[in-house]
Amino acid sequence: MRSFQDYNPAVIAVYFFCVTGIAMFSSYPPFMAASLFGGVALYLVRNGRKHAKSHFFFLLLFLILAAANPLMSHNGVTVLFIMNDNPITLEALLYGINSAAMIIGVLYWFRSFTQIMTSEKLLYAAGTLSPKLALILSMAIRFVPLFSRQSKRVQDTQTAMGLFRDDNIVDDIRGRMRIFSILVTWGLENGIITADSMAARGYGTGKRSQMKRFRFRRDDIVLLLTSLSLLGITTAATFAGGLTFSFYPAIKYETPGIFGICGIAAYCLLALLPVIIETEVSIKWRYLRSRI
Amino acid sequence: MLVIKSRGLRNGIKAAVPFIVIPALAVLGSMAFARKRHIIISLAIAVFALLLFAAGFEKKTTGTRRMVIVSVMTALCFAGRFIPFLKPMTALTIITALYLGGEAGFLVGAMSALLSNFYFGQGPWTAFQMLAWGMIGLFAGIFSEPLRKNRVLLLAYGAVAGVAYSFIMDIWTVLWYAEGFKWDLYFAALGTAIPYTVSYAVSNVLFLVLLARPFGEKLERIKIKYGV
Repeated sequence: MRSFQDYNPAVIAVYFFCVTGIAMFSSYPPFMAASLFGGVALYLVRNGRKHAKSHFFFLLLFLILAAANPLMSHNGVTVLFIMNDNPITLEALLYGINSAAMIIGVLYWFRSFTQIMTSEKLLYAAGTLSPKLALILSMAIRFVPLFSRQSKRVQDTQTAMGLFRDDNIVDDIRGRMRIFSILVTWGLENGIITADSMAARGYGTGKRSQMKRFRFRRDDIVLLLTSLSLLGITTAATFAGGLTFSFYPAIKYETPGIFGICGIAAYCLLALLPVIIETEVSIKWRYLRSRI
Repeated sequence: MLVIKSRGLRNGIKAAVPFIVIPALAVLGSMAFARKRHIIISLAIAVFALLLFAAGFEKKTTGTRRMVIVSVMTALCFAGRFIPFLKPMTALTIITALYLGGEAGFLVGAMSALLSNFYFGQGPWTAFQMLAWGMIGLFAGIFSEPLRKNRVLLLAYGAVAGVAYSFIMDIWTVLWYAEGFKWDLYFAALGTAIPYTVSYAVSNVLFLVLLARPFGEKLERIKIKYGV
């Protein structure tokens, strides 16, 4: 029983690529709706009522994106009204709403992705691909707080030695430039020392290990296989199941057959998978607590 | 993966992949698929290019010292992205490329884009930002000789890189929003991005003026002292 964020990072990454890949690859309206709903639901389940401001921002962005298309494009046969001698058509408006749903949905997915995939998990995922790049990334992450601490020390020393006054703007800027310069020289020298120390301790002679261990458990494999097979069903249905929808010149779509409906259901399930996992976990917790 | 022994062949492949294979993929992809698929093709190309570079980098016996210097510069870029309005990222990438070569420039640009997006938001655009910044670094490394000698040329490169970055990212904005590429949408996107474009170009030139010489001296010194 683990919540969605505790699954193996590689599995989570594959899951996110499946969901957002279809959302970006296809423009079939039911998929867009499912992706938007799933993305928003996951974000809400994870964060509750926090971040009201960003929801408002996304709503605003949605409206702007939806309105941009009918103002720019005048294809379509159903004219709603005429603005500045340009027809605003129903088809262009619906197309704009569809595009906006796609973009906002993917933005929500990636917000959750950024929250879930912390830099440590990313290092694990990158480390399997290229250990050297993972090393560069992890060292860079570690250098940022190190540099800010060292810059404080350099500044204290410089002010204690009376080398600049911070009530004089020109002197202040010059002093800050000097601190920055000292910091960069120190950083580079320190980096070389770190590198020599690493080499002396045998860096690069063996396999790189992680501080935190991410193992493949049984439910990791289940989640991986589930998301890949749902992706497969959806893709197959997109190509063979008659899931076509065209906006221009007039809205035209085929009624999906059995196979097409399976595809839509598969994508809906895929988009709701993390929410289902989270809900299941919270229900189990509540049940276990109620028995104490 | 295959290790290619012949140096000539290796260099040939290195030149062919970015300049022939990837454009060919783009053209073939746009002919094979209709409409909406551009975005996936361009995303695939960006990821492919980054993977190719990562694989090439992995095989090389790059010294630990060099890698640590690259991560120091990445950390500085990353910290610099928090400065409001003026971003020294591109300038630092270019300076690194001038003194440590195009590969180091590519790495600093791409890695700092990846890293800083943990704070500024990851998204499908990450791959494009990585590629755009990486290419700015790579080309600065390729033209490092004239750029190091001629200061005016260096500043011009900075300004062009800033504008080009905005132009490249707007192609991606349009591809994402609409089916296929539309010029009117592209110009509208460029128009709304003018303040950003100007700020990129100005901050590149400003930080190159401020940082090119002192950073150059420091990197040169490290190179001589430790033989990186």
